[in-house]
Amino acid sequence: MAAEFGEPVVEVRDLVTRFGAQRVHDRIDLTVHRGEILAIVGGSGSGKSTLLREILLLLRPTSGTIRLFGRDVDGFSEAELLALRRRTGVLFQRDALFSSMTVLANVGVPLREHTALADKVVDRIAAMKIAMVGLEPEAGAKLPSQLSGGMRKRAALARALALDPELLFLDEPTSGLDPPSARELDELVVGLRDSLGLTVVMVTHDPDSLWRAADRVAMLGEGRLVGEGPVDELQRSEHPLVRAFFATTHRGDAAGAAWSPK
Amino acid sequence: MNRPRETLGTKGNAQGGGAPDVRLVPGRDAVECVGDWTVDRLAGLQGRLDALPWPSAQEIVVDGSGVRAMDTAGAFFLCRTVGGLEKRGIRVSVQGLRPELERLLALIRNPALSGAEPVPVPRPGYLERIGRETWARVEEGVGLLAFVGEIFLTLTRWLRHPARIRGRIFLHEVQMAGSNALPIIGLLSFLLGVVIAYQGGAQLQYYGANIFIADLVGFAMLRELAPLMTAIIVAGRTGSAFTAQIGTMQVNEEIDALRTMGLAPMDVLVVPRLLALILTLPLLTVYADAMGVFGGMVMAKLQLGIGFGVFLTRFESAVTLPSYLLGIVKAPVFAGIVAVVGCYQGFRVSGGTDSVGRQTTMSVVQSIFLIIVVDAAFSVVFSWLGV
Repeated sequence: MAAEFGEPVVEVRDLVTRFGAQRVHDRIDLTVHRGEILAIVGGSGSGKSTLLREILLLLRPTSGTIRLFGRDVDGFSEAELLALRRRTGVLFQRDALFSSMTVLANVGVPLREHTALADKVVDRIAAMKIAMVGLEPEAGAKLPSQLSGGMRKRAALARALALDPELLFLDEPTSGLDPPSARELDELVVGLRDSLGLTVVMVTHDPDSLWRAADRVAMLGEGRLVGEGPVDELQRSEHPLVRAFFATTHRGDAAGAAWSPK
Repeated sequence: MNRPRETLGTKGNAQGGGAPDVRLVPGRDAVECVGDWTVDRLAGLQGRLDALPWPSAQEIVVDGSGVRAMDTAGAFFLCRTVGGLEKRGIRVSVQGLRPELERLLALIRNPALSGAEPVPVPRPGYLERIGRETWARVEEGVGLLAFVGEIFLTLTRWLRHPARIRGRIFLHEVQMAGSNALPIIGLLSFLLGVVIAYQGGAQLQYYGANIFIADLVGFAMLRELAPLMTAIIVAGRTGSAFTAQIGTMQVNEEIDALRTMGLAPMDVLVVPRLLALILTLPLLTVYADAMGVFGGMVMAKLQLGIGFGVFLTRFESAVTLPSYLLGIVKAPVFAGIVAVVGCYQGFRVSGGTDSVGRQTTMSVVQSIFLIIVVDAAFSVVFSWLGV
């Protein structure tokens, strides 16, 4: 599987996370290759978001190593860390748009901070990114609170893409979106990967997303990686947790099947 | 350049050389693009694009074979340049780009992307802004009146149905606003007493009227400073907390959640806080009175050599009960101001989290403003009444 993608971009080795007595991760190994879309799935509380936060260097694991772009993150100096952050983009679960700024200004924040581009150029590039994620140009002049949830997700994605990151992290990108919007967002992510060569790590709850977007799925459960592989392969897994996850999921009608009376 | 083919541009390792540039190709109607067309290196490019003496031919070739890396921002620059030329009736063909860069360019060439222009935030004119501001003030005033009315309705309902009273929340607020504020109020009142005695003492000593320090500290603290200081501290400490708590709940849709569960925000959030403050602020004022006078006593002893006993004897005969009560009477009024303004501003939070900060500032400023205005009004009324 990995052969068709590039070199490893994210490597997690022997990762252990403990919050007090609670063991969230118990020796997890995970590799993401360049150009790949990896989905991390798992039940609520299985440590998906925690893993993401650790890869983003927002949280320090109890033990284990994380390598980004081939280097151990523990050895990074402050300046290198900043350079690293420029190469990554994050779409947070609750969009995390700065509420005092317009969408256009939000998207412009990383550009203003990390490049010497003139204000006018920054605004143009930001407007281009806003168009890229499928928002109307008028949305750029609005405050995040004036947008719907789906539009805010898109705006947050535009901000995450502002600096053309090589590595994009998406924390539940489709949660809270209606099915057509979720599908569009997935297609957008795949399209961006195809045209920009992004590497994408997404945490998701949405089985449809796995079929539409993910090249590979890593499933967390009981603090370990209980399954890993392309979604059709994973679906045939014998592991009870994986079976439980896919039990109500059939391609295309996941949401309907989960709720329809038997 | 041994970079993997999947990468369109590896940022950060492109030091030295490779700055994006455009040059004329001598002898041909062609320009050549070279270097890294990536967002972090584009800063000077616009100027060079503008300054380039473009060939005046009908057909121009843009040679991209010298482009080492390109990202969406670089492709955007190229597209806009090409678009500008095409608008002048010149045919442009872009050649020589690596296939993956070609794909990227095709993506950005979509007129929706390459033609994207920022939409300016609509700025209302002067007259409109004055109108809006005025209307906002009027609306806020009317809203505050309605809010006070609603509080009274809730209170009358509580009187008829005492079972609705939220005792637990009330007590919690008493603890938060009252006993937790004791250290800060005690310390500040003590220091205030010290300062007044120190400043006044120097003057009194000059006239040989040392003993009147008790009158000075007593009247100043009991009538004016202790109630005022306490109210201002509580406005900053508790009023701001009311606004921030209620405001955050508003942003989080917790207020809506309360309503849908049949809990009136007035019952749960506002009236318990108001009553708690009306109870605690007079108590805190009494405490501040004592601490302030104590501060004055300590200073009188250190500076003027007046013992505690002498001070208290003079204090008793000089400061009458009405003076003390006039100070205390103001406290519940101040409490009402702090609680009502604090809660009201909390409910006015709308939209995002920055609104919480704005309304909290507004709440503290308005509370303190109103407290001082009302205190002045009290002084006028008391002087009319001759007390």
